[in-house]
Amino acid sequence: MLEVKGLRKVYEDTSRTVEAIRDVSFCVGEGELVCIVGPSGAGKTTLLKCIAGLLAPTAGGVIVEATPVVGPPPAMAVVFQEYGRSLFPWMSVHDNVMLPLKQKNMPAARREELVRDALAAVDLKGVESAYPWQLSGGMQQRVAIARAVAYEPHVLLMDEPFAAVDAQTRADLEDLIRVLWRRLRVTVLFVTHDIDESVYLGQRVMVMSQAPTVIMEDVAVDLPDERTQLETRSMARFGELRKHIYSQIQLAKQGWRPPAG
Amino acid sequence: MSALGPLPRRIAVALALPVTLIAAWWITSAGSENFYFPPLQTIVQTFGKLWFSPHALSDVVPSLWRFSVGYLAAAFLGIAIGIPVGASRNLRNVLEPVLEFFRAIPPPVLVPVLILFAGIGNEMKALVIMFGCIWPVLLNTVAGVRALDEVLAETVRSYRIGRFARLWHFTLPGASPLIFTGLRQALPIGIILMVVSEMFAASDGIGFALVQYQRTFALPEMWSGIILLGIIGIVLSLIFRAIETRLLGWYHGLRQSQRAG
Repeated sequence: MLEVKGLRKVYEDTSRTVEAIRDVSFCVGEGELVCIVGPSGAGKTTLLKCIAGLLAPTAGGVIVEATPVVGPPPAMAVVFQEYGRSLFPWMSVHDNVMLPLKQKNMPAARREELVRDALAAVDLKGVESAYPWQLSGGMQQRVAIARAVAYEPHVLLMDEPFAAVDAQTRADLEDLIRVLWRRLRVTVLFVTHDIDESVYLGQRVMVMSQAPTVIMEDVAVDLPDERTQLETRSMARFGELRKHIYSQIQLAKQGWRPPAG
Repeated sequence: MSALGPLPRRIAVALALPVTLIAAWWITSAGSENFYFPPLQTIVQTFGKLWFSPHALSDVVPSLWRFSVGYLAAAFLGIAIGIPVGASRNLRNVLEPVLEFFRAIPPPVLVPVLILFAGIGNEMKALVIMFGCIWPVLLNTVAGVRALDEVLAETVRSYRIGRFARLWHFTLPGASPLIFTGLRQALPIGIILMVVSEMFAASDGIGFALVQYQRTFALPEMWSGIILLGIIGIVLSLIFRAIETRLLGWYHGLRQSQRAG
């Protein structure tokens, strides 16, 4: 479904070169929900932009649905961290969700239906005509998620989407992602710096090292599929996974990395 | 800042100084024997006779026509050139020295030159107005396109939004606050150049009429023409503000919500 092979990214300008990603390879199966967690400065956003086709890798590559990524793939949607900057402030909520659909060849009635359903799916009704900046941060991020959902992607990339909302809203949005993922059977790659969030959301958690980034470990999350904030987070297994990933991140921060090969 | 008072209060505040000044002029000039500074009452009477007559149209209409053509051409060209220049660093590097040079030329000096190949007709005047008005529009459009939000640009790319939709739904509205700043700066420049170009070589127009009155020592008429120009300036700026409020409502709302948050 989604394959990253030997991806390397070096930023070069006249004065210096920075190796952001050294060598990252992994696969995400169809319909999987995989979290990528790493310390700040782990090149998470760089990796995600390479996968999204927004940034060209220095070496290696990304394959989505058997097609090498050279630009943004058609069946992919990205939700960015900065909801305030990823929504068009001059457009209503409705028009924000509608704009990408206008690029798709489909009857107008179908577009309207997709917008309506997507806004309903993220619990946003009655704000269609509002401007994004008239809404709270959590609601704005819901609009961005609705826009991604309406686009009917096969792959949904999320770049620390809840890093800028308050804790309560964040828990609600995490549950929303689980619900949408299960209902839409979409493949989700979720980047975060929050260990708890990665364990709570993911079927797998990939732990990144510090830049130049490699993957430290690919952790399978063997928690039941039905997850609730209250019960899942108080399970003994949740604590173990959390502790394990936490210690990996600590190692990453100290500069430890897995032996090459 | 204190809350804005009710509307009548605001109107009273806005009108207080103009009314005082007019009253002071009226009183101090009443019964004036000075040839150069006739009583305001005489000027007002002349104003009514002169500019509310059908004859006045033969001066006012050509002036406003030249202004409109020159200003709108400058607006169109300034935006049309500014967008690609703002989007491309290479284009900026090539064009910037040339633009700076042309911008440094005071537009009125072009009048004698333009007379040579554009004659003394409307084309010459519209060209002079256009040449003066284009710079603030062009430079502000360039700045506006450069300041477009990066996250929003990536959103546009990742949803594979086409060239035309990108221009219409992203570039133009995103740059519009600065484009309007440029258009507002160009407004008085256009009026000045309208008058100046008509003073040089013309057979009609407000500028032409003013010079005629001055040469024939028709002082009340001359003063009334100056007042007319002031009124035209205010009316144009009111029309401009009405259009701006309509198109940039989102921007002012966004700014207000950012200040409040």
